[in-house]
Amino acid sequence: MKNAVTSNSEPLTKHELNEIWYRWGFTQLSSMSYEKLQAHAWAYSYLPFAKKYYANDPDKKRRLLKRHSMFYNTEPQTGQLINGIVASLEEQIALGKNVSEEMPVNIKATLMGPLAGIGDSVIQGIIVPILLSIGMSLAAGGSPLGPLFYILTYGIIGPTISYIAFHSGYRLGVNAIDVIVGENSKRITDAFNILGVMVVGALAANTIVLKTIAKVPLGGKSQSLETVLNGIFPGLLPLAVVLFGWWLVSAKQLSATKIILVLTVIVTIGCLIGFF
Amino acid sequence: MNSSLFLPALLTGVFCYLGAIETPWLFGMSGGYYIVGRPLVAGLLVGLAFGDIKAGILCGLAVQAVFIANLSTGGATNSEITYAAYGGIGLAMATTQNPAIAVTLAILIGQTFGLIFYNFRMAIYSYWNSRADKAAETNNDRGIVLNHLVYPQISTFILRAVPVFLAIYFGKGLVNWLINSVPDIVTHIIQVLGGVLPALGIALLMSIVIKNKTHLIFFMAGFVLLAFAKLSMIAIVFIAALVAYLYYYASTNHGNGSSDGGKSVADSNVVNTDDEYEDDDLF
Repeated sequence: MKNAVTSNSEPLTKHELNEIWYRWGFTQLSSMSYEKLQAHAWAYSYLPFAKKYYANDPDKKRRLLKRHSMFYNTEPQTGQLINGIVASLEEQIALGKNVSEEMPVNIKATLMGPLAGIGDSVIQGIIVPILLSIGMSLAAGGSPLGPLFYILTYGIIGPTISYIAFHSGYRLGVNAIDVIVGENSKRITDAFNILGVMVVGALAANTIVLKTIAKVPLGGKSQSLETVLNGIFPGLLPLAVVLFGWWLVSAKQLSATKIILVLTVIVTIGCLIGFF
Repeated sequence: MNSSLFLPALLTGVFCYLGAIETPWLFGMSGGYYIVGRPLVAGLLVGLAFGDIKAGILCGLAVQAVFIANLSTGGATNSEITYAAYGGIGLAMATTQNPAIAVTLAILIGQTFGLIFYNFRMAIYSYWNSRADKAAETNNDRGIVLNHLVYPQISTFILRAVPVFLAIYFGKGLVNWLINSVPDIVTHIIQVLGGVLPALGIALLMSIVIKNKTHLIFFMAGFVLLAFAKLSMIAIVFIAALVAYLYYYASTNHGNGSSDGGKSVADSNVVNTDDEYEDDDLF
């Protein structure tokens, strides 16, 4: 096609790639509704791309913006892997390579679920609670060291995950899919899970405070039940409460609001009979 | 007397906006929702606004314990953490500075006003979304920017900074009156409840990380390392990382993972940063 001479045939520069990365990275949820979630951040991040490749082709530009205005939702930091893959596909489409325009749409729809699953359990379930629990232990007594530790560590880790994910996605292109759904990635996620479970156990022992003020008759004189329990198993009451809560969540499927009500009733009765 | 509350209340409102899930200014969710939105950080910021960092952090610490597992998957949320944190800590700082009061207020605000405002905002955004859709249809670059960024951010600022400011500025008297008129037994129940409620946050966290019942062994190990052995959180994180590495190492050997060794390197760069150091310890 002779017309193609007028359009740009240069690949994306590092700067332009980073522009796609940070445009989506900054605004991924800035117009989130239940209807579209992260949809429009895509169209927004491809505006400079459209200017570079489709300045003279309004029809192709319209198709690009439309296919990137569809419902989309994933974990925003690990999910940058998908943005990287899609950037490499869109670049090939723009350069006239043999890639269909449905491909980026399909990739987004297929991968957003698995990456949200991995990302949410690793970031919301493990990294954030671990850093917060270290921060909380450093903040004991009101020390600003705790919040500062968290701001600094997560401030580095969050954007770094996002950056590495985007650029690995771009570098590997569609091959990245094997990496995500591959056997080895499952093993890594499982191992991270073990790490998370252990830290959550420690967190339970560290943050739940429940003491009994009841007295028990022991050897003729009355002794504090708390001291007796601590001699057998320190933190037995907090452990009982958290296992009970977990049972309500996972086995009974109760909502958080209902569990708050259940705990309130138990604590109220306990206080009224003088146990807590 | 109220004029001294004006600036702290205003700042708390602005922080509540900055910590929202939808604000773009601090690298989207990473710096907004995940950092400024966390009650631990909110405690520091509200403490700064009110000129009493120590009291702020103590309130933040108590609220953070309850909201340790605040999860937002698929845009759904069960308690709005930013309203909860800034409304609760802000009101507590304006009144008694008591962490237990901060926790109670945070839960009340998060479960009621927070959710109402959050869902209202989601509904308004659908309107901006349909306009952004039309802009994409007509190649209107400016329309995309306005309806994806500018108008939604103006709406969310109004829906976050303003109510939190008003709640702190005008709610102080009401909260003070409530606190002074409740009987001692209720205060005692609130105190005990504040200590127990973190169990809910942790239970929610357990429901995502515990994939099968054998994982309870690792949970107990973590609990015992802190409760019996009195190790620090940081020490436990290192031990847990070591156990996780051993688990990974064992699963690789049994499952003939040598065939995809090349992939594992690329993969560990994506999600795995902690396990890197364990290599040096073991080999």
